[in-house]
Amino acid sequence: MDPINPQPPLLNPDELVTEDRVHGAIYTSDEIFELEMERIFHGYWMYLGHHSEVPNPGDYQVRQIGRQSVIMVRGEDGQVRALMNRCRHRGMAVCEAEEGNTKFFRCWYHGWVFATDGKLLDVPKENGYGEGFNKEELGLTEAPWSTDYRGFHFVSLADPGVDFDDYLGSAKQYIDPFLDASPLGEIDVLAGVHRTKYYGNWKFVGMDGYHPHFTHKSVLDMWNREGGENLGDTHRGDPFADDSGNLTRDMGNGHVMLDFFPGREQHYDTYLEGLLSKPGGAEYLAAMEKGHGKEGAKRQLIWAGDPHTGIYPNMQLINIQIRIIRPISANETEVLMFPTLLKGVPEEINATRLRHHESFYGPAGAGAPDDAELFERNQTGLQNNVNPWLLLGRGLDRQYRDENGDLVGLVSDEVTQRGQLQAWVKLMSRR
Amino acid sequence: MDNLTDRVTRFIYLEADLMDEHRFDEWLACWSDPLLYWVPCNTEDTDPSRQVSLIYDDRTSLENRIARLQSPSAHSQTPRSRLRRVLSNIVINPQETGEIEVSSNFILAESRHHRKNIFAGKNLHTLIEKDNKLLITQKKVLLIDNDDYINNLSFIV
Repeated sequence: MDPINPQPPLLNPDELVTEDRVHGAIYTSDEIFELEMERIFHGYWMYLGHHSEVPNPGDYQVRQIGRQSVIMVRGEDGQVRALMNRCRHRGMAVCEAEEGNTKFFRCWYHGWVFATDGKLLDVPKENGYGEGFNKEELGLTEAPWSTDYRGFHFVSLADPGVDFDDYLGSAKQYIDPFLDASPLGEIDVLAGVHRTKYYGNWKFVGMDGYHPHFTHKSVLDMWNREGGENLGDTHRGDPFADDSGNLTRDMGNGHVMLDFFPGREQHYDTYLEGLLSKPGGAEYLAAMEKGHGKEGAKRQLIWAGDPHTGIYPNMQLINIQIRIIRPISANETEVLMFPTLLKGVPEEINATRLRHHESFYGPAGAGAPDDAELFERNQTGLQNNVNPWLLLGRGLDRQYRDENGDLVGLVSDEVTQRGQLQAWVKLMSRR
Repeated sequence: MDNLTDRVTRFIYLEADLMDEHRFDEWLACWSDPLLYWVPCNTEDTDPSRQVSLIYDDRTSLENRIARLQSPSAHSQTPRSRLRRVLSNIVINPQETGEIEVSSNFILAESRHHRKNIFAGKNLHTLIEKDNKLLITQKKVLLIDNDDYINNLSFIV
């Protein structure tokens, strides 16, 4: 195909992505970014937070969904709700802190008070509004679509066009290993957060098994040094080699993964030996076998709690972290990384997992800053719009569908980027 | 200025220069073995076994960090950050154990890729003396913005 060269404004998404190419403007155009806010971030399923972040009645977390502020709060009735952070009177943000525990949300502009379930409790000098003023109709607005899977809470601020089960689809099975690394199948998202940002487009935070040999050369070299706790611990050999057995998967709806299960399975004995030599290792194995059975425990230990799965568009489950991607503009992105604690495991296991996370992720890690640096160089290069088409055809002639219907390729193939961009076109073409 | 104050002050000034100038081997030589290099995240009082830090390095992790920074493929430090920091409010507290606790404030200016960043915080050093030489056995760095979005903290703070 000869590259076509449409000039901005480029508002026809399906002309910008073909089977094996993408136009660079989708990463740089402000007009396209505005459409992404409207059609994706303000109108589709978005990950908000995990219920373990608000364990007690009155606990809340404030998150941005696109440009909108949403409070995830557990009410006195124990139910977790997603409330729009906006007073029904004049629109003030009623919750000024990012997290905490409260009996109610008070708007400090005119003193309106809302319960943690959103009900409007008190309006100062209420009689001034005259007859027909009905407090029951003026509670904080709940996100119109709001539900969870195993505590992962998702919202949609406008009609997502697909119900939640169909949205997750077959990707749901890959959320499970993230939780089932715990013998109880439960996590606590209470370990704090790494907040990072880069000056590049949000769609770069992909699932790319092709980049580590180059972007993370310094880290892969480090993994070969003796000793130390780092992510190399859960991998053996070269997980990014095309003969590693590891795979890329496209589960539909933009949900994609780097599937490290096959490679880790080959090196399971070495991993288990390493685990058992560590404080808490034997106790962890015993707890896992009690919780999941012998075979089930082995399977979960091979996963190492790391589905390496992106739930499109704003959530990823990578190693021990839940990652939230928050676009600020076409050229700026914030990334929140929440390391998780496993319930029902020895304390040393969680401490080791945190050290593994810190070794690579966060603004002072050995990996994440190099990703950010490369994303920024990517954004710089994409400002060139002479010959603007990018290639995404890697592995196109060797990908296949497995028995679950997933599209599968080698670990370095661009199956994942193609899957995300096909979903992007679909969402961006909605009216 | 008494002898100890003088020596400790010179030592942490030297350390600041080594960090600013990316003299990694000399900086590493300022540390004892074992060591703890800790930059908490989100707040100042955290339990590192249950809460994530920006940096929580033991001797091996710190050696790995330095080896990476010295490799030609540490992209987030290619080019390196240009750094200069100012230390002040130095308070020195010798302990009965022989350890010397030192707290100091710092402002650190960074220039890289035509962007300038200011970092600020408090250093809590624990020093020991070995063979007439001061060594860092623990260093905790309390950044005032450890709860904010940070782009690149891959240089040494």
